Amino acid sequence: MLDAQAMAQISETSVAVELETSDMTLNIGPQHPSTHGVLRLVAKVDGEVITDVRPILGYMHRGYEKISEVRTYPQVIALINRIDWTSGYANEIPFVVAAERLMGIEVPERAQWIRLILTEMTRISAHLLFMGSFPLELGATTPLMFALRDRERVLDVLESVTGGRFHPNFNRIGGIKPAAGAGKEQKKLTQDLPAGFFTETEAAMDGVIASTDQLEKLLRKNEIFVARTKGIGVLPPEVALSYGVTGPNLRASGVPYDLRNETDYLPYDQVDFEIPVGTEGDSFDRWWVRLAEIRQSANIVKQAIQKVPSGPLQAKVPKIIKVPKGETYVRAEVPKGVMGYYLVSEGGQGPYRVKIRTASFSNLSMLPWILEGVIVPDLLAVMGSLDFVLGDVDR
Amino acid sequence: MSTNPPETEEASEDAATPLSAYVERIAAAVGATSASQELDTAKLRVESSDWYGAVEAARAEGLTMFEFISAIDWANDVAVGDEPEDEVEERYEMLCALTDVDQRQTIILSTDLPKEGATIASVEPLFPGAQWHERESHEMFGIAFDGISSDANLYLPDEFEGYPLRKSFALLSREVKPWPGDVDVEDMPEKPAPTGPSTENPGA
Amino acid sequence: MESLLENFWIVLVLKLLTVALLVPVAGLIIGYAELKISAHMQARVGPYFAGGRYGWAQLIADGVKFFQKEDIIPAEADRPVFKYAPILVLISAVSLFVVIPFGPGDALVVRNLDLGIFFALAISSVGTIGVLMAGWSSANKYSLIGGLRAAGQLIAYELPMVLSVIGVVILAETMSLNGIVEAQIEWGMPFVIPQAVAFVVFFIAALAEMSRIPFDMPIAESELTTGYLTEYTGFRFLFFFLGEFANMFTFAAIAATLFLGGYAPAGAEVFGITIPGLTGPIWLSLKIGVLVFVMIWTRWTWPRLREDQLQTFAWKWLVPIGLANIVVTAVMKVLF
Repeated sequence: MLDAQAMAQISETSVAVELETSDMTLNIGPQHPSTHGVLRLVAKVDGEVITDVRPILGYMHRGYEKISEVRTYPQVIALINRIDWTSGYANEIPFVVAAERLMGIEVPERAQWIRLILTEMTRISAHLLFMGSFPLELGATTPLMFALRDRERVLDVLESVTGGRFHPNFNRIGGIKPAAGAGKEQKKLTQDLPAGFFTETEAAMDGVIASTDQLEKLLRKNEIFVARTKGIGVLPPEVALSYGVTGPNLRASGVPYDLRNETDYLPYDQVDFEIPVGTEGDSFDRWWVRLAEIRQSANIVKQAIQKVPSGPLQAKVPKIIKVPKGETYVRAEVPKGVMGYYLVSEGGQGPYRVKIRTASFSNLSMLPWILEGVIVPDLLAVMGSLDFVLGDVDR
Repeated sequence: MSTNPPETEEASEDAATPLSAYVERIAAAVGATSASQELDTAKLRVESSDWYGAVEAARAEGLTMFEFISAIDWANDVAVGDEPEDEVEERYEMLCALTDVDQRQTIILSTDLPKEGATIASVEPLFPGAQWHERESHEMFGIAFDGISSDANLYLPDEFEGYPLRKSFALLSREVKPWPGDVDVEDMPEKPAPTGPSTENPGA
Repeated sequence: MESLLENFWIVLVLKLLTVALLVPVAGLIIGYAELKISAHMQARVGPYFAGGRYGWAQLIADGVKFFQKEDIIPAEADRPVFKYAPILVLISAVSLFVVIPFGPGDALVVRNLDLGIFFALAISSVGTIGVLMAGWSSANKYSLIGGLRAAGQLIAYELPMVLSVIGVVILAETMSLNGIVEAQIEWGMPFVIPQAVAFVVFFIAALAEMSRIPFDMPIAESELTTGYLTEYTGFRFLFFFLGEFANMFTFAAIAATLFLGGYAPAGAEVFGITIPGLTGPIWLSLKIGVLVFVMIWTRWTWPRLREDQLQTFAWKWLVPIGLANIVVTAVMKVLF
């Protein structure tokens, strides 16, 4: 016969044995259909709950900061197109502006407005891609097709001007490149935009706005979508700031920080737009903020095409571009957030050092924080909503 | 309008832009040894021994958004790219950019580290987001960070040797084969080989 | 001729052959319908070139492609279990046809079992065992999680499905599927009218058992690559693929039989029209078509639920609703 003490001991032991579960290490990526490229996560899971996650980067590391040091300024522009390939055009802007500021060049107004239009169209196309890929990760395939349909129209317009869908390589230091096929006359005059550009853009923007309405109807009040995203992956503003999270992810957390209305790298002060801000900072808000931003960007483009003045496309720049000695840090609001170039010139034809501060890198650095305690099926509802591109992380 | 580079330089040397009130306040708070504000870039120099304290003071002043941490390798003898215009002091310059989202201001803190045994305090306890940036600086420049929770390589394989962003690190693939974009016009190809079966190849 | 058709064995073989042919054909038709319907829902064209017109031969081409692929079995896999899992899934889908009546009497049903619906519900669960086997034997963590999710889903949704069927059985006073259709003709209305709640519960549970969106967590390609299917290639994958479409067909057939009057012509119950029995298959196919369309429609509209939300939905909503439905039905039956 066992005495009471022994019985208690046995029952205690059995409880301990029952509760003891071993952590499983789950390797996600780098070849996994949902991680937007080659991100690898090593997650420790206790049942379905993630206890620790370690992102492993570097599969896309191309060393652009180093390569930039052995390239001339015009060549660097072609490189930085490829940092975030969903918004190639927008990546060029801060670098070109940094070089122009160091050289003391005043960019002609027409070029500035065309830059603004193309940047906003890039933002629309990047956000529309998110509008498709995020629901796809939650299992809804239809929004992807709706979003891509109108993104294609935007890209067509972009291509008609720049000649490239993803890597326009359209900016030149001092202005923009004359449109493809433009003759010698047109270089100086205003026929840089293809015929019918304004009507075509206007129509594409109307299509985009109609598409956002459609996407909103499809998902905003969809019970399953709301159940999967509301209250998931909440990011408080203080945490977001301490990790340097920017862009729609920061604005979804309620911080109305948007470089478009505070620095003067492009004439945003002459157009009216709002900055959509979320309240909860959850996955749903991040989705909603981007949706609202598409509408705002479409409105900006519609206003801007009324305002494009005539005039030259290029400031006078020397044939061989040499940037005088100096340093500057120029940032711009690209679709993924704040992108900045710390440009150090030593008077040569190429930069002495370029520090590329990309939005996705900082946005992703918060991943271990936000994924702790999240259950595996929510992993994608959180990660997908952060909208990062691995090329933008690894550079 | 194109500007003559030397003129700009002189102009900036002669009439340095006066500091804004905001930058002066931060400079006093972080104990900056010198400050400059040119082309919208406000840069405060601090002592490397006071790096952590300076970042902490800046954060207390409202610069709560972390932008980046990186370094510049100032070297007179470079393996890649252009040499500096004038002779520079051999050093690493650490940069830390912070932003005040309410006041819409960005400040860059800067300090110098010696080439040998460059070590600096990690600001990870202040800004957890700094960890990745510091790890990147660690593997790219070989700068050691005191108090960082992990300095494992972020990008490079563990067995990688060397510090790629140092100016002394050559781009080896380009040493072997020059980048074709270096020359605008390629050399004309050699005279085409005579047609017909080759007599030199024993297998033919 | 007469004697031949009365020979039990010959008739049985004929019926089995028909079923064996019907399953792949139905699978192809539904697969093609899914491709085309989803395409038109998504501003696409869908298959267009295969077969010359409208891409009608697309799925045949796909099937041929699957047979050409290498049959890869992972080195760590539990080989026999891995090999037979897809066959089990397909067998379960085919076996369900045994009890589905395509017309009145014994002629257009393989076996008119007295416990027809009981048999159907039991057999439908066997497919999930195949899925669990596939998940377990693949030696892959994603497959394992997928298989376990499928098992969890089966346990959760089998119950509301059975509960919803009980309401129908109470009204029909029989478990034979033929009997249930006859009862609907006798009642003068399809059971979807008195048993609307049960129909909805049954349909949702059927979607869950088939692991279709919004309940496709066992596959969840963005989370688990493709769950238990991850390691499958070639014709074994094709079996799962066919099994999925065959399952859609059979579950739609059962739902049509239980709730929509089965082979009886639409309106026959109300107006008392009697149309010769051979039109039965056509009417049943039409009803199946409607239900399959709704399944496809759901799939291409909604995101997927989360595993715990799915369980919550089953245990906290469907099971109580199913129980309440039984109580109400039983009380009504006694009162009227």
